[in-house]
Amino acid sequence: MSTLNIGGSQLDTSWFLLLGAVLFTIGAAGVLVRRNPLVILICIELMLNAVNLTLVTFARQLQNIEGQLFALMAMTVAAAEAVVGLAILVDIFHTRDVEDVDDLSELKG
Amino acid sequence: MSTLTSPQTIALLVLLFPAAGALLLAGRGWRLPRRFTVIVGPVAVWASFICTLNLFLNKVNADFTYWTWIKSGSLDVPFNLLVDNLSIFMCLVITGVGGLIVTYSVGYMAHEDGPSYARFFAYMDIFIFSMLLLVLAGNFVFLIIGWAMVGLSSYLLIGFWYQRRSAVLAARKAFVMNVIGDAGMILGAFVLFVQFHSVTFQAVFRAISIGPNNGCLECRAVPIADSGSLELAAFLLLVGAVAKSAQLPLHTWLPDAMEGPTPVSALIHAATMVTAGVYLVARMHPIYDVATYAHDAVAIIGAVTALFAATIAIVQTDIKRVLAYSTMSQIGYMFLAVGIGAYSAGLFHLLSHAFFKALLFMAAGNVIHAMHDEQDMRKYGGLWRQLRPTSIMFLVGCLSLVGVIPFVGFFSKEQILGLAFSRPGTLGLVVWGVGALTALLTGFYTGRMWWLAFAGKPSPQRPVEHPHEAPMVMLVPVGILAVLAVVGGFIQTRALGIGPSAVSDFLASSVGSVHWEESTAAVVVGLVTMLVAAGLFVGALRMRPWSASFPWAQRLLERKYYFDEIYNAAFVRPMDAIAGFGDRDIEQPLINGAVMETGIATSASAAGLSLTQSGYFRNYVLVFVGGAVVAVIVILIRASA
Repeated sequence: MSTLNIGGSQLDTSWFLLLGAVLFTIGAAGVLVRRNPLVILICIELMLNAVNLTLVTFARQLQNIEGQLFALMAMTVAAAEAVVGLAILVDIFHTRDVEDVDDLSELKG
Repeated sequence: MSTLTSPQTIALLVLLFPAAGALLLAGRGWRLPRRFTVIVGPVAVWASFICTLNLFLNKVNADFTYWTWIKSGSLDVPFNLLVDNLSIFMCLVITGVGGLIVTYSVGYMAHEDGPSYARFFAYMDIFIFSMLLLVLAGNFVFLIIGWAMVGLSSYLLIGFWYQRRSAVLAARKAFVMNVIGDAGMILGAFVLFVQFHSVTFQAVFRAISIGPNNGCLECRAVPIADSGSLELAAFLLLVGAVAKSAQLPLHTWLPDAMEGPTPVSALIHAATMVTAGVYLVARMHPIYDVATYAHDAVAIIGAVTALFAATIAIVQTDIKRVLAYSTMSQIGYMFLAVGIGAYSAGLFHLLSHAFFKALLFMAAGNVIHAMHDEQDMRKYGGLWRQLRPTSIMFLVGCLSLVGVIPFVGFFSKEQILGLAFSRPGTLGLVVWGVGALTALLTGFYTGRMWWLAFAGKPSPQRPVEHPHEAPMVMLVPVGILAVLAVVGGFIQTRALGIGPSAVSDFLASSVGSVHWEESTAAVVVGLVTMLVAAGLFVGALRMRPWSASFPWAQRLLERKYYFDEIYNAAFVRPMDAIAGFGDRDIEQPLINGAVMETGIATSASAAGLSLTQSGYFRNYVLVFVGGAVVAVIVILIRASA
């Protein structure tokens, strides 16, 4: 078990990883069970940031800068995703009031 | 080279005028007034005739190559026109007699409405173009193209009255028979190409005359190494010639072709197209001179057909069918002549036949016109008194067909028979015997036709009491042909042993001259034959009831030796059965079934799979997350193992 030095205090790495896992699970569960499209988008952001936390943690532990670069990349993608997702949502809200993503099931076979 | 009056350009113009006429009439002409059709149709042919005349007077004799059409390896197909005395001779017949007949059609087809009228002349011009291409072509490829296009235009013209079922059936029959011949031609050309690696006539003939090894000095003495292939090629080409010229056994289409308008019968099924086989054998004479078996076969087929058709003509009652069978019979004479090597005699008979048979058909057309399309001779009678000009011209045609001195038919037919009689070897005597017998029969059936239709009292069943004579536009072309049928023979009076032989001399440069002399005995025998034939012509009326004593013979002849029935049973019905079997038991269940089943299976499985497309976002995410979880578990297990 290795530790990370954060602002002078020593913290065990597994705490960070555990936090990332918990956040990811909350996000995934939210995407699966919540129906409000805005909440789903927020949950997706949560998952992405959980992954970012994990990446940064490993980067510090392994003294490898690539993990941090990946985190930056993920943030960029998250921003783009948020833009596209919100734009789609706004467009849908222009035509009708959607409170449940299950209403958007016109493409079913 | 490219000046407008050079022979090369004029040779091309011969072809282009009818082609342009056909395009004009087919493209726009039917929307324009009738006057346009009346001018364009005949003028296109006459312009072509003038160009041919120019070539004739300038004594052009050349092989003009215009451009290379296909070049692929050793296959080199140029577009070249072989303008020699043989092709000029044929072009003169085609455009000259053709021009008269197309002019005659202006009157004969006058009852047609505007578009149909233009359609008729467009077809006629297409035919003239195809026929000219056939005789001018300098290589096998364009010969076959012309050959097939002639068959096509014949099909179009026989089926001109497409509302009549019988006409459509006759057109189809003619087309199928002609295509059998086309297949033979194409295979024959392949054989020659494999042998000589060239499609041009001149290269092939040169190779034949000096042997297959491109004339290296040692090989020159060697005779043609592969005479088997040459025989094969000659026989295959003969299939084409036999089909096009309605000789046995591919003759059944010609009598049916009389369903077409009468000018068509005159032009295509008497004067020009059906003589293409004779032209082919004459054009290919270097091959036939070497391929002796095929050459003898030509003579035998010709002689048998001549006799065969003449016997059928005895019992026919439709005036056009009598003429159709006599056409077959006369072309049999031409085959006989070119088959024994007397090419120019055969071609002279072609010329004379074009004169008198076109004359007979057009005069018969005048009669049919006057009789409101009744063609049964038994319902005519007594026309001599009422249709005097037409009757006189028909009589001239009859006398020429029988071979009465001094009509053109006498000189040409006598020359063929005389040359056959004096030819060394037994074949000549045999075909002479058949030919002479045919000449007697010709006298008889022609006389029967004449006396039945024109002499005596009007038949009580006649549809028209007081028939009207045809208009001038129909009488003048017939009159010109009548004059030609009377005086045409004097350009070649060799039959009598004296006088000029213009046709033979003219054609000698293309087809060579006959190797043997006509003996005096042949002349005497020929004269006697022709006199007896003329006697039979006169006596035909009294001899008419002969058939009452031989009912079986009459039935056999009336059924045309049961050829149609035999072909029907041997080819048509089995083919129909095979086609029906294929449709019912192969096409529908197997081919169609396989396609349909594939479609059904695809759409059924698609319907099943589409159930997974719930359209619910969370379902998709669940599947995705589930997949990711499974993947992680697998990776972890593998990593720990």
